[in-house]
Amino acid sequence: MLADALEHLVRGIVDNPDDVQVTARPARRGELLELRVNPADLGRVIGRAGRTARALRTVVGSLTTTPVRIDVVDVDRR
Amino acid sequence: MTNDDAGVAPAEEPVAEPAPTRLEEEGEVAADYLEELLDIADLDGDIDIGVEHGRAAVEIVSDEDPGALTRLVGPEGEVLDALQELTRLAVQARTGERSRLMLDVAGHRAAQRRELEAVAAEAISRVTSSGESVSLDAMNPFERKVVHDAVAAAGLVSDSEGVEPNRRVVIRAAS
Repeated sequence: MLADALEHLVRGIVDNPDDVQVTARPARRGELLELRVNPADLGRVIGRAGRTARALRTVVGSLTTTPVRIDVVDVDRR
Repeated sequence: MTNDDAGVAPAEEPVAEPAPTRLEEEGEVAADYLEELLDIADLDGDIDIGVEHGRAAVEIVSDEDPGALTRLVGPEGEVLDALQELTRLAVQARTGERSRLMLDVAGHRAAQRRELEAVAAEAISRVTSSGESVSLDAMNPFERKVVHDAVAAAGLVSDSEGVEPNRRVVIRAAS
């Protein structure tokens, strides 16, 4: 559910919704969501001073009582 | 002025108001975005849309279980502010223009507004009776806007002083 919620929230704010990909991995506690977007949309999901990424974490975090981490994966830099 | 956290235009910078049809469109885009989130999260709620003070106004309401929506408000309204931010971006992605829409959840902002208006009224009467200026507690942009509006309506003058998150409203007697 959290992965779907994150995917929906991100798809709505990017130029390339079909390139949004969320992978859920079990973390030591709770869950880790890896978010991949089109490199052109990276700035959109991070936002000024990380503001959009923070908003995504706040909203997704509010939907669960277990800890959830969201990593924005920068494909270009790997 | 960098108080667009809550997207509140400072009183001293009037912004041209977009046409109502565009604001309605903003509301509809926002409603789609939020409705699907409620579906995914299995939260019971409806979306009310309207236009208030020259902005799209969108509210998530629930007749059956308003308590379940409190998670979308969060401590000190931080989830509500985050969701408002994302909703504005979603509208911008669709319309190509910046949105200043206001989001509310289960009457949270409306209740907050009433409390702030009471704080403002008390401070206004102190300024009026003493003639001295009064500095209020630090507030976020939304809260300051409510106070500025109440002060202006009472015919007094107010400014914001200090730097976020310690920015506060100072109320002065009209000169």
